[in-house]
Amino acid sequence: MTTAARKPFNWRRWRLVVTGGTIVGTIMLLAILAPWVAPYSPFDLNVAQMLKGPSAAHLLGTDELGRDVLSRVIHAARLSMMVAVLASLVGLVFGTLIGTLAAYFGGIVDLVLMRLMEILFSFPAILLAIVLMASLGTSIFNAMIAIGIIFIPGFARLARATAESVLRQQYVEQARAIGMSHTRILVREILPNILAPLLVEAAVAFSYAVLLESALSFLGLGAQPPDPSWGNMLNTGRGFMGVAPWLSIVPGAAIFLTVLGFNMLGDGLRDAFDPQLRDE
Amino acid sequence: MRGLILSRLAAFALTLIVASSILFVAVNVVPGSAARSALGIDATPQALARFEAQHGLDRPLVVQYAEWLGKTFTGDFGKSFQNGVDVGPELLRRLPVTLELAIFAFIIANLIALPLGAFAAMRHQRAADKGISLLASLLGAVPNFWLATLLVMVLTLHFRLLPPGGYTPFTVNPVMNLKQMIMPALSLGIVSSALLIRIMRTAMIEVLSSDYIRTARAKGAKEGIVVMRHAIRNAMTPYVNVAAVEFGFLFGSVVVIEDIFLLPGIGSFVLVGIINRDYPVLLASALTITLVVLIINLIVDIVVGRLDPRRVTRHQ
Amino acid sequence: MSEFRPHAQGAARPALAIRDLTVDFQRRSGALRTVDKVSLDVWPKEIVGVIGESGSGKTMTALSAMRLLPHGARIGGAIALGGRDLVDIGESEMRALRGDRIALIPQDAMQSLNPTMRVGRQVGEPYEFHRKQSYGAIWSKVVELLRAVKIADPETRARDYPHQFSGGMQQRAMIAMGLALDPELIIADEPTTALDVTVQARILKLLRDIRDERGSAILFITHELGIVAELCDWVYVMKDGKVVEDGPVKRIFEAPKADYTRMLLEATPSIHRRKGAKR
Ligand SMILES: Nc1ncnc2c1ncn2[C@@H]1O[C@H](COP(=O)(O)OP(=O)(O)OP(=O)(O)O)[C@@H](O)[C@H]1O
Ligand SMILES: [Mg+2]
Repeated sequence: MTTAARKPFNWRRWRLVVTGGTIVGTIMLLAILAPWVAPYSPFDLNVAQMLKGPSAAHLLGTDELGRDVLSRVIHAARLSMMVAVLASLVGLVFGTLIGTLAAYFGGIVDLVLMRLMEILFSFPAILLAIVLMASLGTSIFNAMIAIGIIFIPGFARLARATAESVLRQQYVEQARAIGMSHTRILVREILPNILAPLLVEAAVAFSYAVLLESALSFLGLGAQPPDPSWGNMLNTGRGFMGVAPWLSIVPGAAIFLTVLGFNMLGDGLRDAFDPQLRDE
Repeated sequence: MRGLILSRLAAFALTLIVASSILFVAVNVVPGSAARSALGIDATPQALARFEAQHGLDRPLVVQYAEWLGKTFTGDFGKSFQNGVDVGPELLRRLPVTLELAIFAFIIANLIALPLGAFAAMRHQRAADKGISLLASLLGAVPNFWLATLLVMVLTLHFRLLPPGGYTPFTVNPVMNLKQMIMPALSLGIVSSALLIRIMRTAMIEVLSSDYIRTARAKGAKEGIVVMRHAIRNAMTPYVNVAAVEFGFLFGSVVVIEDIFLLPGIGSFVLVGIINRDYPVLLASALTITLVVLIINLIVDIVVGRLDPRRVTRHQ
Repeated sequence: MSEFRPHAQGAARPALAIRDLTVDFQRRSGALRTVDKVSLDVWPKEIVGVIGESGSGKTMTALSAMRLLPHGARIGGAIALGGRDLVDIGESEMRALRGDRIALIPQDAMQSLNPTMRVGRQVGEPYEFHRKQSYGAIWSKVVELLRAVKIADPETRARDYPHQFSGGMQQRAMIAMGLALDPELIIADEPTTALDVTVQARILKLLRDIRDERGSAILFITHELGIVAELCDWVYVMKDGKVVEDGPVKRIFEAPKADYTRMLLEATPSIHRRKGAKR
């Protein structure tokens, strides 16, 4: 393992991370800089320019209200990224908490918590999200919460498994033996050691969050018009499939690229840190 | 074997009860919203109170849950808030549509995944393997509702081959039924195949590098026999496990696809329930989907046990 | 160098001849040579032992002769089965030989049996692949074979799955599989490891009987010197992928030439005594 540091950069090992990272980085950057890089406002109506195909003025054409599709797609990225980050964060924080507690205290706590997680996990994700949206009410913020809740069991499982192996390490046993408080052991000894795999998992959760958010928005349960979201753009586009196919192609392609980028990043990170695959 | 089935059944019952309570709580997190949405924003407080009393919504949540669970257990899914129609019979009418869609999609997914995954494993680390793996990553990133849209654009609008949506029962007009089902099933199945290709590939790679495959070759087995007789069966155990979960996932993701293709299944019933805030409809349809998913997992748990002789005899 | 080798007398050519065999694995850090210019003969009706510590390349040598090396291995040198080249022939020609004229009894019986197929069917596969016979004829051969390897009640046990067999029975089933078509060469890769002494003794006797009754040549791989002393006519000593010494068993035990062989013998003095006491 020590020789790995001295070796020159290993393209084969990192190519997925680099490619995925580039895609994700670009989209993130566009999302953050949306107001400055988008050529038009995403809301400006222009009846004279309704349903115009791609042109020099509107690179990706205009929609049924004459709004610039490129600008809307870029602004939608902002929303997607925000939902993905926050939902993953919700899942990460609560999942880690539950999983670590289950592993640390074991016994009945472990049994009850993890059984509950199993059950939550056995729900079809999109269904659970939709049902949650019913009572929370349709808004992008609630979509974010619903998606975050869906992620909790996955993170909890992973956190429990990793925490369990960390708990068997000697330094944790020593900390317990010298009477360190539960909180201190959990925060100082265990948390730092289980974070890496959880963060890799977060990349995968990101891509799933993008898919779920766009599905909810597509159904009209997430972002509400006129706020642009890839999902609701795609939904509107369906009405103009024959005359303006770009309205359906562009937002879908944006989802596809984002999900692909995050998946590559997640897979790449997992492979790169998997010692079994290192020498292949 | 009997012990296995009994313990699985017990776990199933427990899961179902907890799952139903999660659904019930999820729907009722925000109190009072049912009446408000059923009667509209302009409803007077008196009207709201009357509605709540009429539907028993003013009682504690636990009582409501117990009542709902008891009734559901006897097959009484309640009446729709919206139009007072019995939900149960409507569910039964819709279930076959969704089942057909999910099974059709699942068949497509497996027809893609089994040969591609097995072939990639046989060509491990060669061009075909890399190509198939890339294809799987690409397919896995496609949102199924986008694929559905693209299919409609190409097959319906451009080539005018297939109807854009709707549903005809198979018994009424089989050809029309299949024509209407093929695009929804493709949208779900193609996307699902991405994961299954990977699983099949991994399982086959593992099996193909095992000692007993070498034994088969040492006996002079032809490559076809090595793969078909020795490898596939052993790769099936891990594959079926994941495939079943994927079928459940597929069944759960019918909502969007049914909406796009105007299929009157359970998925679109969920949407009806949510758009009208019709809680009996929403709860019943969501519970049905969950129930089907759980039953699938239960069956597979038991069937996978039969697939692997080591597990069968252990429980005998 | 040339010591008297009884089995070489009167035989036209060795059952198996390996010359300058190399097996390389391509690693990122460069090629890994696991077998390094090994030359080895097995004459008809001879039991040849290969001994050496774990990782010395014994299994790789054996698998080379079957042309069943793991994915990514590169083979060099020459191998001939009864004078016929095995390195350059086509895969289908090689397949016709495997299980019929050259058989492998692999190292780990449990892992080497297909867990989802009945033992009898697996034992019968060599017939199925190489002889066109009816299902019934194959089945009676299988029962006969299992009886030959001393599996009690073979008619019923043939219907068992591998996990229902004990470790020793699994190993005997693998031996039965190897013997199926009376191959001219049997390669047995540590077929008795992890077996208790009585079962081990029975399996060794079985192999000797096979040699005596069917006239097969046997390449017997092991790292247990006691077995070599008991079973083999000729022995090759391997270390780090190379043959360090070979010769008749008696001479190797009494007057080893290579330092490594001497070290091996000293590490297990009881064998020496056992051998001495027997003579
Ligand atoms: N698939 C493989 N890829 C790379 N190297 C391998 C592979 N299989 C075996 N080796 C290496 O080849 C060398 C020789 O292994 P081999 O299995 O022939 O040893 P052996 O003498 O049979 O040992 P044992 O007594 O433990 O069975 C070892 O260094 C091993 O690490
Ligand atoms: Mg070996």
